[in-house]
Amino acid sequence: MVATGVKPNWRAVAVAVIWAAAGLGALLLLAKSVQNSDQFSRAQPWILLLNVIGLVALTIVLARKLWQLVRDYRGHVPGSRLTARTVSIFGALVVAPLLIVYLFSLEFINRGIDSWFRTEVKQGLTDALVLSRAALDVRLREYSRRTEQLARALSGTPREGMLALLEEERRATSALEIVVYGELDRALAATSNEPIESLPAPPPADLVRQVNQRHVYVSLEPQSGGQYLIRTAAPLADVPGAAGVRYVVALYPVPPEIAALSEAVQRAYSQYGDLAALRDPLKYSFRLTLTLVLLLAMLAAIYGAIFSAQRLTRPIQDLIAGTRAVGKGDFGTRLPLPSRDEMGFLVHSFNDMTKRLRRAREEAQRSQQAVERERERLAIILARLSTGVLAIDRQLTVRIANQAAGAILGADLSSATGRPLTELAGGSARLGQFVEAITQRFAAGREEWREQLELGGESGRRTLMCACTPLPVEEGDVGYVIVFDDITVLLQAQRDAAWGEVARRLAHEIKNPLTPIQLSAERMRRRFLSSMSPQDAEVLERATHTIVQQVETMKQMVNAFSEYARAPDMKVVRFSLNALVAEVADLYRSHEPRVEIRLDLDERLEAIEADRGRVRQILNNLVVNALEALESVPSGKLEISTRLETAADGAQYAAVTVCDNGPGFQRELLGRIFDPYVTSKPKGTGLGLAIVKKIVEEHAGRIDADNRPEGGARVRVVLPVADSTRSAGARERRPDLRKEKRA
Amino acid sequence: MLRRAFILLLAAALTAWGGPAGADALDGVLEVRSAYIHVDKGVFLLNARIEYPINPMIHDALKDGVTLSFDLEARVDRPRRFWFDATVVNLTLRRELSYHAVSDRYVVREVRSGKQESFATLAEALEYLGRVDDWPILVEPQLGSGSYRISVRAGIRRGRLPASLRALLFWTDDWHRVSEWYSWSLPV
Repeated sequence: MVATGVKPNWRAVAVAVIWAAAGLGALLLLAKSVQNSDQFSRAQPWILLLNVIGLVALTIVLARKLWQLVRDYRGHVPGSRLTARTVSIFGALVVAPLLIVYLFSLEFINRGIDSWFRTEVKQGLTDALVLSRAALDVRLREYSRRTEQLARALSGTPREGMLALLEEERRATSALEIVVYGELDRALAATSNEPIESLPAPPPADLVRQVNQRHVYVSLEPQSGGQYLIRTAAPLADVPGAAGVRYVVALYPVPPEIAALSEAVQRAYSQYGDLAALRDPLKYSFRLTLTLVLLLAMLAAIYGAIFSAQRLTRPIQDLIAGTRAVGKGDFGTRLPLPSRDEMGFLVHSFNDMTKRLRRAREEAQRSQQAVERERERLAIILARLSTGVLAIDRQLTVRIANQAAGAILGADLSSATGRPLTELAGGSARLGQFVEAITQRFAAGREEWREQLELGGESGRRTLMCACTPLPVEEGDVGYVIVFDDITVLLQAQRDAAWGEVARRLAHEIKNPLTPIQLSAERMRRRFLSSMSPQDAEVLERATHTIVQQVETMKQMVNAFSEYARAPDMKVVRFSLNALVAEVADLYRSHEPRVEIRLDLDERLEAIEADRGRVRQILNNLVVNALEALESVPSGKLEISTRLETAADGAQYAAVTVCDNGPGFQRELLGRIFDPYVTSKPKGTGLGLAIVKKIVEEHAGRIDADNRPEGGARVRVVLPVADSTRSAGARERRPDLRKEKRA
Repeated sequence: MLRRAFILLLAAALTAWGGPAGADALDGVLEVRSAYIHVDKGVFLLNARIEYPINPMIHDALKDGVTLSFDLEARVDRPRRFWFDATVVNLTLRRELSYHAVSDRYVVREVRSGKQESFATLAEALEYLGRVDDWPILVEPQLGSGSYRISVRAGIRRGRLPASLRALLFWTDDWHRVSEWYSWSLPV
């Protein structure tokens, strides 16, 4: 729906005005034509045409409207019920009075017209007519009798004497004209009160017929101007031998007063007849006109009712549609303003409301987007953080857990959100211990604490620096955020650094006195050996030898310390790790025949780039370590396996695993097995695994040690195959190492 | 024609409603039997013989005082090839026939001149009406060169009514008939 603003629909207004004007004009014309005006009778076909067209058009339009209304009503279109109700009320209000007026008018017309033609009037007229006839009949009879007498008198009179007789008669009776006709209707004699200029007009045919049959003729002839003439005729006695009938015709005037009265009666009679003939057509016409007017008015009224009802309900329909749209979340809905009335105010309010809603929603969306952005930023920060962050509520349900948390606790927490920690603890021993630790603290009522947690596990102990802070989450609910760092490596590095320092100092401190000891012993031997008895000389010889030998051993020991503490100096070459492993194994097979040494070498592993001597040292140290552990085992077995592994980033690693079936590492030592002087063996420097770890770290590799489930120890060394990988790794690691060392 | 169509339409629509029942009051032959023109000193005079219907209903109506109008319509048209014909002259000779109750005679009155004749019988009156002699319809200067068409038709209607009432009769008038046109061409 598009807002059109307050713009009246001019087209509809124009159409309505034209309709109204046409309808009104037609009705007026029709009404006028019924009244007095001759000119309308000519225009009448057009008036009728106009009315009929209007009627038909109105009927069609109305039928369409009604059909639409019915369809809408059945279809439960919003507003259709209101429209239907309004239309029926309007319709009833209009149609009922119209019908009453119509029926009343019809009755009135019928009675009114009937009253014009009452029988008394007719009877009166007829009586008047009879009266005037009677009055005239006296004269007619009188004149006819006189004419008869004249005819008798003329019968015996020769033609020459006729004229005098006629003149006499004319004067006596005040006749207008007296003519005697002979055979072939020729005038034989004529007299007139006016000068005769031509021959008298031939007698009327019926007169001739009458006299030919020997009858007396008399007739009253109306003249124009309301005059009457009485024409009488009588046959003359037959003349023997004559061919035709002779007859006399006389014209008499009727006195004006009688003529006027008679004419008045005649006129009234005639007018009455004309009107009476119109009685039925008149009624019919009135009924027809009235019906036409009624139909037009009724249809127009119903149409108007529908039109106004629809106009009234359109804003309501718009409002319904608008509220539905708003209900569906479309706040962009704007309704056209229908008018400036209350409905317009309502629509205006609605538009205002949707506008506010839209603004509010946009505001909410903006702030939500801001929150989302903030959340994403936070998520990125959390993900990049090496510190584990875990947000939980009082029921230990995970709210937030970053990647580092999962990595440190050895569990997959990527899909842990919304699940309780206790449920997740089954997957990892470290997580289980972690959960246990925090549960204990919560149970003790401690909500804010900062402590170091020691977590044990198959792959060694981990030390976590853990801090917990309560975090208000929602109303009445409290969450906690636990931040923890894996400080195992840090502690290890600290330990390593400390040991390196100790080793360097110790080497110097020990090496310094060793040289004078050795020199002194050798000088004593040289000085006194020759001057001593063979017996004493042998003792001296043995003693000095022991001193020199032990000093040498001590030097070696000190050198080993130095080795551990010395700065790396790598000579990277490319060599076959498998070959090196086989070489070392062969060496120890011949050296320790009672231990079975098995190899499981990955053919895919071709060559690695590393310091060959140091890798050999790793192997030596690991094999020696294992062989020493197997000394008390009757059938010792040692297995060395190599594998080519590919990391997620595509970098290749060579993994060397050394397993034995000896007693394995002591559990409590497992976390510190690579520390110097941590050993469970009766002999050994305690530096073997420490040195191995150091070399592995110099190669940017990894080492871990654990016990096999079936018994025995397992040490796994992972070295990068290519030097470039190591360099990248080393670059990352070196600064940390140096920093740790400096610390 | 138009009127008749409307009347038919309305009559059809309103038959059930009960209009005046309609036996044709002017039943019978109504035609122009013959007509011709003769020119006398540049004046075109029309002579025509018309047969008017005669039946008891007409007789009764006249006796009841009704006046009948007898119209003789004469028109002279100049046919045009691609357009409507041009009407040169369109004249109507109107005469009224009524029954004069006082004298028991039938009176024929020419409306324009007021001249009237009376007859003892209806047949005589109708015979008189059916004979039109020397009715001047045209003078020579009105005509150019070319061919003209002269048409004559006769009509009867119930006449001498007030205009308003005549207007009403438009709806339903059995008392109105016209004959077919009687036409012939007049080369000049």
